[in-house]
This record gives sequence, structure tokens and C-alpha cells, in this order.
Amino acid sequence: MSEKSLSLTELNYRVRDAIRDHLPETYWLRAETSDVRPNRNGHCYLEFIEKDPAGQSIVAKARGVIWSGVFQMLSAYFEKETGQPFTSGLNVLVRVSVDFHELYGYSLTVADIDPSFTLGGIARQRQLVLKQLEEEGVLTLNKELTLPEPSNRIAVISSPTAAGYEDFRDQLLKNKPGLVFYTRLFPAVMQGERSEASIIAALEKIFHYRDLFDAVAIIRGGGATSDLSCFDSYGVAVHVAQFPLPVVSGIGHERDITVLDMVAHTRAKTPTAVAEFFINDTWKTFSDLIALQDRVVSASETIAMKEENLLFSLSKEVIHQSMRLLQKETAGMQQIMETMRHALKRHLLQQYHLMENREQFVRMISPGNVLRRGYTLTLKDGKIITSLQDLGVDDIIETRFRDGTSFSRVTGLHSSDNPPEKKQA
Amino acid sequence: MEKLTYNSAKKELEAIVLAIESGEMDVDLLTDKVKHASQLIAFCKEKLTRTEKELQKILDDIV
Repeated sequence: MSEKSLSLTELNYRVRDAIRDHLPETYWLRAETSDVRPNRNGHCYLEFIEKDPAGQSIVAKARGVIWSGVFQMLSAYFEKETGQPFTSGLNVLVRVSVDFHELYGYSLTVADIDPSFTLGGIARQRQLVLKQLEEEGVLTLNKELTLPEPSNRIAVISSPTAAGYEDFRDQLLKNKPGLVFYTRLFPAVMQGERSEASIIAALEKIFHYRDLFDAVAIIRGGGATSDLSCFDSYGVAVHVAQFPLPVVSGIGHERDITVLDMVAHTRAKTPTAVAEFFINDTWKTFSDLIALQDRVVSASETIAMKEENLLFSLSKEVIHQSMRLLQKETAGMQQIMETMRHALKRHLLQQYHLMENREQFVRMISPGNVLRRGYTLTLKDGKIITSLQDLGVDDIIETRFRDGTSFSRVTGLHSSDNPPEKKQA
Repeated sequence: MEKLTYNSAKKELEAIVLAIESGEMDVDLLTDKVKHASQLIAFCKEKLTRTEKELQKILDDIV
């Protein structure tokens, strides 16, 4: 062995020196984060990886570290800018220095981060997925579904332990109007690498029981960390878009809209908002029903009123016509009575005149009147004498005058054919 | 008779409402129609406000 040998430490020192000499600066690095682990001391260890263009296999890898002072600042800044925590699976642009430690080997120390790169990457990725869905003609399929009436049987995809799920159930089941809802949880992992497959599996299970449900709610919220990448994934999106029931999303993300939100039938911000959505929808269904009920009442009342009015005017007509008839009859009767009265009066008057004439006549021929005119009555023994035959000489006769009676003795009798000789004066 | 669903009940209800509103309805039929309409309304309201234990049990029994 003629060549000089080196201990590992000596070699590693040389590597360290070579790196320090040849890569003295800091570099802006594009890479994907992986296995991000903040530790108790506040330092953050992670892996930077690069995948092949198909995104299948890892083609480059390096360990990285963010010291606690830097990490506190950068993670807060990153979360504020992107709306999501600094976690695994993110495409990031970081400023790193290249270090080599004889014991721990090659690693990259992060000094700075550019959140706009990550934002741009997420946005680009979303655009790509949306474009693909559009090309496949499925992008708006779920939006085109009509929410059934009522929509109160809800399949829920959520982590069973999430506070958001509890909020959702509380809100829904204790709704003020007292509407009925049926929910069934289909548990899924809502973050991390397994979430995409887990959500798809839950959707497939619901698909199997789709006749038992009106709608699906995909909710998430309350968790400390939030990795939204599964909600931007093509796999979840394509399943949701083509799902036969309307899907309502509420993944608790205020800042931006994920692909899931874009393809879902309705997007709500939080699980509570999803519950509100269903309550409002069912309340509208209920109100529509009340409106129909009001229409039944008012329309039938209108008919009843119309009929009543018709009956009323009919009865008025009956009364009117019969009154008219009665009046006509009464008038006729009155006329007849009038005529009769006139006739009777005339008749009575005639009779009266007749009687008057008769009375006058009778008065004229009454003995009193006859006596007054100079005639006298001759009586014998209280009987009226009308013939000479009834008298004899020396009979005492009574002669009645108008104003008294004289008594005489008959001295002679001469019949009308044999008048007495006129006494010579 | 076919099993009454919310949708079929509501459709029938709407048809009755339109018939009554048209003003062509025979007064002798009106009482029966209104009675039927209120039965349908009660059925629909119940669907929205009364829990069917049986239904929740079916959902709970999904494995």
C-alpha cells in the first residue's frame, strides 16, 4: 500500500472543506418538503426531495434543518402568506446554505423562504387539475345536480374525532325550527398522505348506499395542522365531480378555494356553515310547503266566498221577485176593493135617495099631514068610518082635526047619489 | 296504492292548488280536495319535522 491512507474523519474534513470552498454562498432551492418534524427544542428537521416529472419516483433527496430562531419566524410568515402551515408535501423555494458535518453528513440549513413560490405552485397545480377535469367533461357535473326535496339525509365524510364534526352535528340536530335531519358518519383521514385514498374509499362506500341519502357533506376543521393537498388532488376531485349525490364541502379554509370546493355542488367555509346550508335549504322546503298550504286556504276561501255571494244574490233575487209579485197582487186587490167600494157607495147612495123619497111620500100621506091639509078623520066608537053605511042617525061621531077632536051627533044621512036639499038661506 | 313520498305528495298538492286556484273546481268536490290537500300537507310536514327512528336505525346499521 504505497498511497497514503486517510481516516474517515480526515476524509470527511476534506469533504467539508471542499464544500465550504466550492459552495460558499447561499442558494435559492426549489424542492418538495417531506417528513417535516419540528422537535422539542423548536428546531425543525425535514427532508427535501425532488420527484421525476411524472411525480412517481424520487430522483433527489437531501436532509435539511431550520434552527429554532429562524423556524419560528419563517413558519409564521409562511402560514400568514399562504394560509397553511409549513408541512410536508409542499413545493417550496428556500434559501439554503450547504453544510457538511463529519458525523451527520450532508445537510441544507434553511435561512429564508419565499411563500409566493408555494402559492404559485399550488395555484398552478389547481389550474392543471381543473383543466383536466374540464377536458374530461366532469368539472361541473356535481354542480348541475338538483338538491332533492327535502335534503335531510346526509352522509358525512369527516374525521370522527374532529371538533368540526361535533360542531356540524350540534348545529344540525339542534336547529331552531326543529327540522329533522339524519346523519351517518363515514370516517376518513382528512390530512396527510393517506387522506386522498381514505376520502375516495368513503365516497365509494356512500355510493353503495346512495339511495339512503340526499346529499354528502365533506367536512374538516378544528385540527391543529392543515395540509390541504388532498383537497386539491385530482383523485378526490374526479370522484366528487361525478358523484350522483350533491356534495357540500366545508373544509374550514377561509383563505382560498381548493379544487374540491370548485367541483362540489356547494362550497361552505366551515362545518357549521355546511350545517347552516342544510338547515336553510330544508327550511326553504318547509316554507314552500306553508306557502302551498296558504294557497289552498285562500283559494278555497275565495271559492266559498264566491259561492256564498252567488247564493246571497240568488236569495235576494228570490225575495225581490216575490215582493214584486206580492206588490202586484196587492195593487190588483186594492183596485178591486176600490172599485167595490165605489160601487157600494153609489148603490148605498141610491138606496138612500130612494128611501128619502119614500120617507117624504110617507110623510106626505101620513094622517098628521093629511089632517093639516084640511082633511078630517071620522071615528065611531074609536073606529075609523070610511063609509056612510056604517053610520046611523043619532050616532055620536068623533071628528079628528089637526089640532083636536070634536064630537057630534049625526042628524041625517045622504048618500052621494042623493044629496040633501040645499037649505035655503 | 303506491307508497307516498315527499315528492309525489308535493306534486299532487301543487296540482290541487292549481286546480282550486283556476276557479273551475266543482264546489261539491272542493271539500274533498281541501281535505286531501291538508292530509298531504300534514304528511309532508311530518317528513320535515318528525324523526323516523326506523330510518336513523337503517343509517346507523350501515357497516
